[in-house]
Amino acid sequence: MAIAMTRRQARRTKSAVVLLGLLFFGVWTLTPLYWIVVTSLKTNVAIYREPSLIPTAITFESYNFVLTKTPFLLYVRNSFTVTIVTTLLSMAIGTLAAYAITRLHFQGRQWVARAVVVTYLVPASLLFIPMFQVIYTLGLMDNMVGLMVVYLTFTVPFATWMMIGYFRNVPFELEDAALVDGCSRVQALARIMLPMALPALAVVALFSFTLSWNEFLYALVFIGSDSQKTLTLGLIGLVRGDTFPWGPMMAASLLGALPPVVVYIVSQRWVVSGLSAGSVKG
Amino acid sequence: MTQGSQVFPAGGSVAAPRPERVTSTSIRLRHQLGRDWTTAWLFLLPCAVVIIGLIGYPFVSAIVLSFQAKLVGAPATFVGLANFNELLFGRDVGTAFRQSVWISIFFTVTSQVMKLVLGLLMALLLNETFPGRAFVRGIFFVPWAIPTLIAGLTWKWMYDGTQIGLLNIVALKLGVTTDLIQWLGNYSLAPWSVVIAVVWASTPFWAMMLLAGLQAIPSELYEASEIDGADVFQRFANITMPGISNILIITLMLSTIWTANSINFVYILTGGGPANATMIFPLLAYQVGVAGAQRLGMGAAISLAFFPLFLILIYFLTKRMLAEEQ
Repeated sequence: MAIAMTRRQARRTKSAVVLLGLLFFGVWTLTPLYWIVVTSLKTNVAIYREPSLIPTAITFESYNFVLTKTPFLLYVRNSFTVTIVTTLLSMAIGTLAAYAITRLHFQGRQWVARAVVVTYLVPASLLFIPMFQVIYTLGLMDNMVGLMVVYLTFTVPFATWMMIGYFRNVPFELEDAALVDGCSRVQALARIMLPMALPALAVVALFSFTLSWNEFLYALVFIGSDSQKTLTLGLIGLVRGDTFPWGPMMAASLLGALPPVVVYIVSQRWVVSGLSAGSVKG
Repeated sequence: MTQGSQVFPAGGSVAAPRPERVTSTSIRLRHQLGRDWTTAWLFLLPCAVVIIGLIGYPFVSAIVLSFQAKLVGAPATFVGLANFNELLFGRDVGTAFRQSVWISIFFTVTSQVMKLVLGLLMALLLNETFPGRAFVRGIFFVPWAIPTLIAGLTWKWMYDGTQIGLLNIVALKLGVTTDLIQWLGNYSLAPWSVVIAVVWASTPFWAMMLLAGLQAIPSELYEASEIDGADVFQRFANITMPGISNILIITLMLSTIWTANSINFVYILTGGGPANATMIFPLLAYQVGVAGAQRLGMGAAISLAFFPLFLILIYFLTKRMLAEEQ
């Protein structure tokens, strides 16, 4: 079904369609985000008594409440701790493993690569029940260290997988030259591969950070005390019985969403290429 | 390797030649296992610990648990297929489980279809050139970057059934309705409300992946086709769709595994209600195994119920993702 149109008509239709699309997705994307910001800046009275889309008065009382009257900052610190440790560990473990899989010659190489991908795909909702027992036995219940251990289950396979994809695209010749010169494997890795793989390392760091920061299920299952709670779990703790104090909760939500959003914006370019490179080879 | 130990290191790099006792056994061993065997397993050890100890062992443990009756802190009793029997034919947990099968299927299929359509539209849109495109791309991907729990909380607030919930405010203002709508409290409406929230947060991931696929299609193909007289729909069907089919299938499989198993949104939006209207199976597993009666064996059985399906997806995904392995 060919539609007869002049070039100019076609272009104008296209511009109109693009504009419509931008409007639709713009509203679709921004409405909830707008609502978070607006609610966090409204007075309590305004939130509950005056349903309005645009705030008539702006106040920071919700932020004040969250930052001074709740353990929010403690939760943030816990999240940072768990996230940073998990990220660093997974970068190290993943890089070493990926190097071995792509560069070293040993029996079973393909099976290890397969195992990495398969474990990356095993869902947390399957693992959390037996993990309950593992963490319990290790004595790490209600402990941030327990979370660090458990988070490795999704960051390490992902990190390894990313680095495999990246290392595969680095030509052999560079290292071979160094190895012939007498470099050990570790040196070849450190001096030649790593500097070349910085973009991949950046992607791994970002994803590990985001995945760990945003994680909720394991935290819910393993953590009970305030002193060990991460941000996502702590947010739920702001609920009093059946009442959701929406002002403070939206303020806390905005603050809690900032780190991963900032991290994402800063590294946008790498994220997109990293994601697709990780799932589609070559 | 034996050659290397005789070459003197060239400027800068330092490596002491490694003395080796070359016996016939070690030659044969190395030949069989691969010449870098020892180094490789040293490098792989931490990863292996994680994969075997933190994923493999719990996975096997889940299977074992599903054949046991086990409460937290109590010793386990082997019960064979009793758990599965109860799920298929029993009351209470069994009824809830059978209901959750349908809800899980509805939830997953509906979300995936919406994500595919919206994700593709968004990707096509973002593939066009227009002023401020980089900025717009950044903004459109934010829903995916924020923690799912926070996204869930926000939608819960938007769905509030009182007159201060955003959607009710808008609905009343637009005159669509005169009553307050219980977006999350209405038995038929709640599942759709949850789906919309999930789609909002996950569409950017689809758009990202499909956009990468779109960008990989050479523009010459479109130009040649246009010269040949193909209209926009023909170009889409014959060039665009085949071009992104691989990444679309990968995204679909990945997203299905993740969506079917995600409990964050349902947990915070409805907790499975009203009256189990949104109780997808992973949430039921959580409630039975951890939150409520803490029947670990039964919880494991519920978690495993769908796993054969995911195993099939995992098998095909692994094949595709490793497609260019040497």
